[in-house]
Amino acid sequence: MLNINDLQASVEGKEILKGISLRVNAGEIHAIMGPNGSGKSTLASVLAGKESYEVTGGNVLFEGKDLIEMAPEDRAREGLFLAFQYPVEIPGVSNINFLKTAITEIRAYKGLPPLSSREFMNLLKEKQELVELKTSLVNRSLNEGFSGGEKKRNEILQLAMLDPKLAILDETDSGLDIDALRIVANGVNKLRTENNAFMLITHYQRLLDYIVPDFVHILYDGKIIKSGTKELALELEEKGYDWVKEELSVQASHSL
Amino acid sequence: MEKGIFNNFYKDLINYFENGLPASRLTEPGWLSEKREAAFNLFKEKGFPSRKNEEWRFTNLERFLADDFKFRVQNGADKVSAEIEDFEASRIRIVNGRFAADLSDPLPDGMTFMDTSAALSDPRFAGKFGSIADDRESSMLALNTAFARDYSILHIAANAIIKKPLHISHIYTEQTGPSFIPYRTLVIAEKLSEATLVETFHSDAAAPVFVSFVSEQQIDESAVFHSHMINTLGENVYFVQHREVLQFRNSVLNNSNITLGDTPLIRNDLNFRLQGTGTETNLLGAYLLSGGQHVDNHTLVDHRMPNCNSNELYKGILQDKSHAVFNGKVFVRPDAQKTNAFQKNNNLLLSNQATVNSKPQLEIFADDVKCSHGSTVGQMNNDALFYLKARGIGEETARRLLMEAFVFDIISRLEIPALREYTAGLLKRKLHTDNLVIA
Repeated sequence: MLNINDLQASVEGKEILKGISLRVNAGEIHAIMGPNGSGKSTLASVLAGKESYEVTGGNVLFEGKDLIEMAPEDRAREGLFLAFQYPVEIPGVSNINFLKTAITEIRAYKGLPPLSSREFMNLLKEKQELVELKTSLVNRSLNEGFSGGEKKRNEILQLAMLDPKLAILDETDSGLDIDALRIVANGVNKLRTENNAFMLITHYQRLLDYIVPDFVHILYDGKIIKSGTKELALELEEKGYDWVKEELSVQASHSL
Repeated sequence: MEKGIFNNFYKDLINYFENGLPASRLTEPGWLSEKREAAFNLFKEKGFPSRKNEEWRFTNLERFLADDFKFRVQNGADKVSAEIEDFEASRIRIVNGRFAADLSDPLPDGMTFMDTSAALSDPRFAGKFGSIADDRESSMLALNTAFARDYSILHIAANAIIKKPLHISHIYTEQTGPSFIPYRTLVIAEKLSEATLVETFHSDAAAPVFVSFVSEQQIDESAVFHSHMINTLGENVYFVQHREVLQFRNSVLNNSNITLGDTPLIRNDLNFRLQGTGTETNLLGAYLLSGGQHVDNHTLVDHRMPNCNSNELYKGILQDKSHAVFNGKVFVRPDAQKTNAFQKNNNLLLSNQATVNSKPQLEIFADDVKCSHGSTVGQMNNDALFYLKARGIGEETARRLLMEAFVFDIISRLEIPALREYTAGLLKRKLHTDNLVIA
């Protein structure tokens, strides 16, 4: 589904991603972990197409298509979804109309007619229960005045509504209390199928108690330095990131 | 002599007043003739205000007054759609400045509308013309006083609570040649009354029209008056409005001023003089400009007495080569203790060639007051844009959604649902989002 090959990217001339290769297949959940500043969020932003990031090398294929060449809206229409670490508040754009517009544009891209109001409302009601988001919030301006937890749940609501092939969750667990974390994790688990895939970007192992990943990758200084299964996350939790850094420097001195 | 504009239009007007007065003028009451004479002399001396005049620094009238404007007898060909859908209201139409009785509804009890001859012959209002808008410096006001061809009065009786709004459509339909349309209304809302006036401005003019519209309003003690102005004028109407509102003790005035048309020039002078204690004044404004449009809103809230509240919010979007001016004066006079006065003007500047001159001007002479003012000029929020695009919404749609949201902040505050719908529809039409599913 997603094939990242030696991806390099920089922001304002500073190189952040220094050659990342990763393959995500349908049905898989990948966790990307790493210390602050390792490039986790940059990877998410580059994949979603944020303009301030410049891809300086490598390539990314999404369902066989060149992702980097696509406009952000086309990536979304092709089935890529980014749950933002900091969802933007947009006063004056109602949550519900935003969702309706997004679904209509995505369907139009696929040559499908818009959903009828009834179909849309039924879908919304169903997905809203999944993330336990109050109707009053759905009718409000997009994220305006939402608590941190409400914003994150709203991201998952959008995820559920848009039904992407690949969802990237950028530190969706940060700032969540345990109840909100459970709701978010529960939502993801219910949305998981053998046809879609998830990339969980997280600093902590905590989220992975609730969403069990198939693979865990450790990102450090713009590179994936270690990959493994869920046990790697536990090991990391136990030993801390310093352990990885030490391993890395040992490797580096060996290769000298 | 002042540094005014003394162009051909000016010369025609001077000649017209001195040599070619229409017969109707001869039957006017003496007090009116005197006022006209005095105003004419002021206009003759000052001419049209040029950019040398501080109040007109950012609006170059000369550019807009190049046509050979004349007084013309318009045929009332009225094909303009001036209706607001699903709006339960009494309707009055003013076509080319003149009350069109055949197109208007009877009014509810307690509300009276008088045309020129009724207005001038009613002894209750003798001398009222020009007594509220009495600025002796303004040559544009003097122009209207001297030349106003039509005059109407809206009267709301004391204690009358009128639920049904009055909708006045101002329609300009000149077809023959460049035309000058000066006219005036007077609104008297007597004590303890409550009424709503919605004014919409429309045009279907084949030739250029220069409109000078003055509205004098007196809101008596404890009266509540809701007024809305929605400007949808088309491409060849030049619109200059002066509105002078006197508010007496405990009165409430709400005004919205929404510009969603294509007219090249709008200049509004909206003055609110708080004559009594305990008044409330709420002002909303929105403008969405494109092409070479020039919209200049000058507002003045003059706190003369203690314990008055005023609140003003104007928001606008500028595209292409458009130009917006916001000049918001708030005066807090020495007697106006315990004043609360807030003012804000926010602009979204979406083109390198567009210009905003925003000048909030707060002058406080009292020492126990709460006042604030602020002005912003910003650009499209790129984070918001990316957020929308990341959900599959295309660049164009995303930009329009954000623009709509910016103005919708004002529109959503209109209390009449039909008016919200109507203005939202105008907004969508102007943004070309009317075929999107966004509500």
